[in-house]
Amino acid sequence: MMKQQKLRVALILPAYNEAAVVGDVIKNLHKVFASSAYDASIILVDDGSVDGTARVAEQAGANVIRHILNTGSGGATATGLAYAREQGFTLAATLDADGQHDPHDVLKGLDEQLSTSADLLIGSRLMGDSTEHMSLVRRFLNRSASLVTFVLFGVNVTDSQSGLRIFSKNALENLRWRTTGYEFCSEMLWRARQANLVVTEYPIKTIYTDHSISKPNGQSSWNAFNIVKTLIRQRIVELFSE
Amino acid sequence: MSRYLLLIILNAPLVIAGLIGALVEYKTRRISIFKWLGTTVIWLVIFGGIIGVQPALTFLHEHHKIRAHEMSLFDVLEITGIIYILFMANRSRIKTDRLEQRVQDLHQELSIRLSEKQDQ
Repeated sequence: MMKQQKLRVALILPAYNEAAVVGDVIKNLHKVFASSAYDASIILVDDGSVDGTARVAEQAGANVIRHILNTGSGGATATGLAYAREQGFTLAATLDADGQHDPHDVLKGLDEQLSTSADLLIGSRLMGDSTEHMSLVRRFLNRSASLVTFVLFGVNVTDSQSGLRIFSKNALENLRWRTTGYEFCSEMLWRARQANLVVTEYPIKTIYTDHSISKPNGQSSWNAFNIVKTLIRQRIVELFSE
Repeated sequence: MSRYLLLIILNAPLVIAGLIGALVEYKTRRISIFKWLGTTVIWLVIFGGIIGVQPALTFLHEHHKIRAHEMSLFDVLEITGIIYILFMANRSRIKTDRLEQRVQDLHQELSIRLSEKQDQ
């Protein structure tokens, strides 16, 4: 009997100074995907880290792309997806490198993508009963960001800032965005709408570790104002670009 | 030459350049049809404003809202200056945008190529 060929999947981790945890994150991904129906490659995009993130990731078994300059989460994600596109992967998933996401949720998302044929699948931390681990402030800010995304770009999702996203081949080929910081999360949804891609969501667990909360460069509550400012500017600049 | 005519002569080339620039951007598929239409409408509104300056001035003068019955040379230069700044600002924004995108693409490609080379 002919053995069924596994789907090639790129698991992309944009990372900046995550040496303390990224090794465990990669090992967990390897463990979960070893027994799965996917031929997964872990690609870490090191966004100019100074703490040896790239070295730790390589030792843990990831393919590492090193950014020459620090560009931001959006830039690192774009590089990872460009690499996946060039290498001809069938599917791609992005997830945070700080251990915020459960590898099983990534697996669940890939299965969901295959069954729904969505182009862009967002792992929502605000769907179902998974919000209990999220602080009230974060819950409010995440919901506000989704509201801003809806008002500015007309895309209605529950968690516009989630880092766990699954991309179909079609999305890999057609999705591009311009912002390089955290605001790319919202812009990506807008670009997906412009490219007529099907965007859906599925519920995932919320994991806030001590490391992810204490990060000075993470998506802090105050950074939300910068994100909104950049998004408004981007919308005004492209006022007629629908 | 009347100052009204001078205003039109000075500003018409800027408006025409803006309209042609937007059309070229659209035809070379750099902008969407909506952006082209939006930009065209903005330039036509500006041109309409220039054309309507003298009738508006006359109307306001006849209704005793203002004392001056025609534009001063300073008014002409001021309006032209504002439109010129608008034109240049728009051009600069487009160029900066394009340059930023190219630098991003270059950085992305360079990072991938160098990492591949390092792996070999």
